[in-house]
Amino acid sequence: MKRVVVDPVTRIEGHLRVELTVDETTGKVQDALSSGTAWRGIETILKGRDPRDAWAFTQRFCGVCTTVHALASVRAVEDALGIQIPKNANYIRNIMAASQATQDHLVHFYHLHALDWVSPVEALKADPVGTASIQNAILSKYDLGLSGPVEFDTGAYPKEFPRATPSFFKAVQDKVKKLVESGQLGIFAAHWWDHPDYRLLPPEVHLMAVAHYLTMLDRQRELVASHVVFGGKNPHPQYIVGGMPCAISMNDMNAPVNTARLGVVDASVNLGISAVNYFDLPDLRAIGDIDVTQHKVVDGGGLAGKCVRGYGDFPEDTYSGIANGDYHKRLLLRCQGVVENFAAGVMAAKFTNLEGKDYVDPEIITENIEHSWYTYPQAGKGLHPFAGVTDPQFTGPKEGTKTNWKYLDEKGKYSWIKTPVWRGRTAEVGPLARYIVVYVKVKQGLMQPTWAEKMMVDQVDAVSKVLGAHAHVWMVSTVGRTACRGLESQVMAYVNKYFLDKLIKNIGAGDTATANMEKFEPATWPKEARGVGLHEAPRGALGHWIQIKDGLTANYQAVVPTTWNGCPRDSRAGYGAYEASMIETRVKEADKPLEILKVIHSFDPCIACATHLFDTEGNEKSVAHSDPFLNVCGGCGK
Amino acid sequence: MEKRMTMWESFSSRGISRRTFLKTCSALTVLMGLPFTDYKKVVEAATKQPLPVVVWLHGHECTGCDEAFIRSQSPLASDLLLNLISLEYSDTLSASSGEPFEKHLESVIKQYDGKFILAVEGGVPLADQGISCMIGGKPFVDILKGVAQHAAAVIEYGSCAAWGGVQAAKPNPTGSVSVSKVVAGKPIIKVPGCPPIPEVMTGVVMHLALFGQIPPLDSQGRPKQFFGNRIHDTCYRRAFFDAGMFAERFDDAGSRAGWCLYKLGCRGPETYNSCGNMRWWNGLSYPIQSGSPCIGCSSDGFWDNGPFMERLPNIVTPNSLTNADKVGAVATIAAMVGVTAHAVASSLQKAKYPPVEPPKDEEQEKEDKH
Repeated sequence: MKRVVVDPVTRIEGHLRVELTVDETTGKVQDALSSGTAWRGIETILKGRDPRDAWAFTQRFCGVCTTVHALASVRAVEDALGIQIPKNANYIRNIMAASQATQDHLVHFYHLHALDWVSPVEALKADPVGTASIQNAILSKYDLGLSGPVEFDTGAYPKEFPRATPSFFKAVQDKVKKLVESGQLGIFAAHWWDHPDYRLLPPEVHLMAVAHYLTMLDRQRELVASHVVFGGKNPHPQYIVGGMPCAISMNDMNAPVNTARLGVVDASVNLGISAVNYFDLPDLRAIGDIDVTQHKVVDGGGLAGKCVRGYGDFPEDTYSGIANGDYHKRLLLRCQGVVENFAAGVMAAKFTNLEGKDYVDPEIITENIEHSWYTYPQAGKGLHPFAGVTDPQFTGPKEGTKTNWKYLDEKGKYSWIKTPVWRGRTAEVGPLARYIVVYVKVKQGLMQPTWAEKMMVDQVDAVSKVLGAHAHVWMVSTVGRTACRGLESQVMAYVNKYFLDKLIKNIGAGDTATANMEKFEPATWPKEARGVGLHEAPRGALGHWIQIKDGLTANYQAVVPTTWNGCPRDSRAGYGAYEASMIETRVKEADKPLEILKVIHSFDPCIACATHLFDTEGNEKSVAHSDPFLNVCGGCGK
Repeated sequence: MEKRMTMWESFSSRGISRRTFLKTCSALTVLMGLPFTDYKKVVEAATKQPLPVVVWLHGHECTGCDEAFIRSQSPLASDLLLNLISLEYSDTLSASSGEPFEKHLESVIKQYDGKFILAVEGGVPLADQGISCMIGGKPFVDILKGVAQHAAAVIEYGSCAAWGGVQAAKPNPTGSVSVSKVVAGKPIIKVPGCPPIPEVMTGVVMHLALFGQIPPLDSQGRPKQFFGNRIHDTCYRRAFFDAGMFAERFDDAGSRAGWCLYKLGCRGPETYNSCGNMRWWNGLSYPIQSGSPCIGCSSDGFWDNGPFMERLPNIVTPNSLTNADKVGAVATIAAMVGVTAHAVASSLQKAKYPPVEPPKDEEQEKEDKH
């Protein structure tokens, strides 16, 4: 039995450590722990500040999934104050969210995840002519033939398309060769390139993927042009409570948004569609197909087959509130709810709804701290976010010292992340969770699908056909988690187009309003108010909870996706999603746990968020306290 | 593409003598702020090292600066990463993880001792021995100090590294500080911004790679070519400020017409950054162009300078023209005084921002706010 530590886990956001106990003869992971090793205290910092500024602070939880915390934050403040934003503001926010999801998923696949399968060293062995023909074969074999609604069809031809030319691949290969010969490997240095899994794919696929890594590294910036047009910059575009600051006018030469600016967004949206249809999806499906059908690599499912959860997003139109249930009435993506037992099959799975007042019900979502560096006044009882206590109790490692850890203590406390639970169960969130919830709801006839939901179901069925496996088999795995993120990037590229079309039509109808300023001034606010803001961030379901008192933020909590996925175990609720997935993964070489990097990366971790330092009464505690929920950057959904 | 020449190869190919080359190296040693005893190392580096080695450490941050870095249009991220620098250690982009990754850092430090560029993203938490940011089981502050003493120069990427950042806002629960508060004796380049403009970030590295020297800095350590002017000085809406044409609230006629956002809280008059001239996405926009007042994200302590969407208070100064409402009437002079008033107002604002600890009674807090 060997204890293996991977710290830092790279190609993620933030600071994550994992420890495994591996049976070296069988490769079986006996136990695994995941620890968030940093917290920043941003929720504490928010206290006493203007709630209209909270979006700017919370957006800095995470810069990878930028925009998502700002969106959840303005939604929470608007929910608390009863502000209904104008139609255009809703469309613009949806465009920014969909642009983010498209770009973030693409960057995750190529730049944070692909190097778990693809090696520049293997690419050196490839035949450039063969690579060109494989590229062609992949493009035709892995076209799903699906698309979303396009009203204003402005894209004449694909604006980015994979080059299937031997001389191009030769040029890329020559560059990689020079890099390797120079001894300065840069970002490719010191990795386990000799791991046998890097020989699962033919060298030509490696070379093709390396070429796409570089192509997409240079094009990804253009996919978030909507943030720069509507929010002035990226990462961290600007928002306002009540709508969006980017006024629209076709009568003013200097207006933030006019036809020319919409043209910039349109070009970016079209490029996004090309990038997912011709790069992201075919590459991912080719790699997944080889892994699943040829090498039978289907593990790492973890909680996906047991319990997944979503909140729902992309309001078709403006709504009066979230806690009052209005938000959930007109969503394009209705993945709100929990699915248990999906591994038993789509019809056997159990669905439970999660809407409106459920988000403020103290019994439904609680958090435990059995293995987190905190203490509660009443031991063993979980607390709802609104009643959250965050009293730190750093206990140090099992072996080593406070400032030089050897091993963390899996029997005691070992993470700054708390353990959030839904009705006492840990759950997985993210693209895979969204796909499972929607798939189950549609197949069980619980809802008539919107175009986006229908596209998701069609995608899943198409992939199942190619792989020759049931959805509940291939989806509940590392490959399934990664595949669903890729499938979702395609849906998001069309959601982006869909809301841009709606924005253009609405402006064309004469409505240029972008902000509702009626309740912008604190003098118009009630003495006390509280609200919830929801968002399906790239990495999963995100919630912000705010309490406002006398015009200032009295308390603020964010429950982020990576808190759900990266949390430590709980003796009653079970393992967290990372841990459960690692335990179901077989490791070929204990000292080179490449499979563990794969499974962790399949969640797209985001560990940057931190915690707050106040108890329910708002009294500051003496030491460092962490908001159970905010330990990780959830915004990004990570 | 051609393999990049070393500095010596470049000199010799143009017929420049070895003697001149050595002279240049000695000048470089001084320019880079290195002790003259490091002269030999500089010669060695310029002779043998084809690409400048960069080590990128992450402390208390959100990775927004990495994201900004790869959003650069000129140079493009791929050209930068493969041809202009050798990024040997980066939490975000490196393939390697865990022990081999940490060992690689050790060997890079040894191999390029005194020659590599250290880029740091994130603040440095000091409270409780720095345990709120642990990497490889060790506090970030210890790692930073250890690596920095072997670096040729340090870049503080983003407002967290340069000033402490969002986690250092009051009450600064983790005791976070800027890199320069814990690293001494090395040339430090401050590149603030939350995040900085992509081409500003890559521009600094490009300058180092192309010229082999640190770009000229201002008194605070920021490259003058990127932080030499206030946004207000280069803002395309400046004419509206001078003319007294202001947006009074979001989505009003002034907002739609693209008038000055000063009354909506714009920090452009006190913020040094390239948003006005370079803009984001190579000239596409910046917050003000998109209708949003600047929040001053490249300024020291801007997080404690809120509320962001409220105009900074009028300050009574000996000059009666400083009331910003009258600025338009007396264009240029008033504009200049207005700027000064901003700076004063902002420093006063910082001083009077209610600290979270100890909690004040509500009356007092209200008074402070208004």
